[in-house]
Amino acid sequence: MPSLLEIQRLMRDAVIADGPARALPPLLTGGRDPQARLAIHRHHYQASLTRALLDKFPAVSWLVGERFATAAAQAFACAYPPAAPCIAEYGADYPAFLATRAGAERFPYLRAFAELEWHLGQASIAIDRSSLTIESLASIDADALPDHRLVLQTGLRYCTAAWPIDDLIKLYLNGVAPQRHAFEPADVHLEIRGARGEFRIERLTQPEFLFRSAIAGRATIGAAAERALDANATFDPGQALLRLVSDGLVIATDKPETNL
Amino acid sequence: MASDRVRAEPTLSGVGLRLPHLTDVVATRPSAAWFEIHPENVLANPHAAELLVDIAADYPVSVHSVGVSIGSASGIDRPHLARVRALVDLIDPIFVSGHLAWSTHAGEYLNDLLPLPYTRETLRIVSAHVDEVQDALGREYLVENPSSYVGFHASTMTEVEFLSELVNRTGCRLLCDVSNIYLSAHNLGFDRDRYIADLPADAIAELHLGGFTPEPEEGGGEVLIDTHGSRIAEPVWTFYARALERFGPKPTLIEWDNDVPTLDVILAEAARADAVSQSAFAPRQVHALAS
Repeated sequence: MPSLLEIQRLMRDAVIADGPARALPPLLTGGRDPQARLAIHRHHYQASLTRALLDKFPAVSWLVGERFATAAAQAFACAYPPAAPCIAEYGADYPAFLATRAGAERFPYLRAFAELEWHLGQASIAIDRSSLTIESLASIDADALPDHRLVLQTGLRYCTAAWPIDDLIKLYLNGVAPQRHAFEPADVHLEIRGARGEFRIERLTQPEFLFRSAIAGRATIGAAAERALDANATFDPGQALLRLVSDGLVIATDKPETNL
Repeated sequence: MASDRVRAEPTLSGVGLRLPHLTDVVATRPSAAWFEIHPENVLANPHAAELLVDIAADYPVSVHSVGVSIGSASGIDRPHLARVRALVDLIDPIFVSGHLAWSTHAGEYLNDLLPLPYTRETLRIVSAHVDEVQDALGREYLVENPSSYVGFHASTMTEVEFLSELVNRTGCRLLCDVSNIYLSAHNLGFDRDRYIADLPADAIAELHLGGFTPEPEEGGGEVLIDTHGSRIAEPVWTFYARALERFGPKPTLIEWDNDVPTLDVILAEAARADAVSQSAFAPRQVHALAS
């Protein structure tokens, strides 16, 4: 009699990987064919995770077709089981996986498009908080301001792409299905803001994007400004900070760490 | 923190509250006795968690986990358990429950409730995990009997013997899923009446009812699949009345997780459960008055 750990390893292989289950059926009871009963669990695993991925990436299905999307979701569920029970967190790596599928070469923007859809989903389940006013920042000493970090709304996401994927996903969101759509490479720098079931996508200039995404990545205001200035020497960090605050995106400030 | 009124165990039947209905419940405050939620649906969804906190201020809520995995030989998911504890602290539920099953293995979550052999080794592992869960939550944990399609030749005790010993060892209580007993008895060929006769009635804290789907099997017969995607089957209502006679009135919960209908359809099933409960106990009251 194998240990419980060994039984669970065999069952895991049978459920996820449809692995060689020769060692398992002799251990089982239930109906005329216990192995067929085991397939109920395998079917549930496959069907529930495939459904979860298709529900999370409906625009991908719209773009590549239901058959391609379903086959990709099934293959992803087999190759990459969830690491935790909250299925809302499952699928962050799916866009990269999609891009490796045979046939994906027809959609060179597929990974970026799927990543955008992932960000939209994550942003839309966030909740926004009361934002800081510019007056609350005014109390910080101007010389110390570059050393501060800002805490942004949790429903903010930043992503870049070499294709105008925001235009493409807006076609899907607006229910537009043109016979032909001119789609040429073009760098886009996107800010996604969402909360409580809603979201919007904004295009930013490259320096503004670098500044905001650096702040979101917990860089100090000074470091974020330097990153933007490296891209464009005419970038105005003061005005950028003002816009960030007046857009309602800053919810707190962190004081600089003190070196003792 | 919810009020004492909300924390009191309900006498009427409740319904499973799933994501499609959260916004409606916040907006319309339907006439429901209590709700049960799966923490896994809200822990990674801040908007859903915010709505749930609002709902928990007005309704008793039960937390029913599908991810704690007390049967995993590779260990329970402790980070997940810590997240469940945080939610429990936030909404102060009337019950916290999970399944006699396993769903994680070596860092992978299999998104299903998988069966266990009922052996001394399994009992030792599950008991240790229930102790750990109750310590981590700082409260009693209810363990639900599973729906089963397969069993194990290696089992040295029945499911009821296993559950009874688990109660003795850990002090946990039981969530008796009446539909699961009906389904498993059909699928594995045991006597469902004997099952409820042998369960420790004092340990039963809550009952579950859910829909299942019959599927034909090769070679004849059918297997009942625990889909939670339909109304309660008629024979299960009869069996539910028998369970009530055995256990006495218990908070009962209607589960509906797939092809989820409008909330009023699920509430109608809860009303039927209340009607069954009332008729199960009405004759005794008449008898008591007459004697």
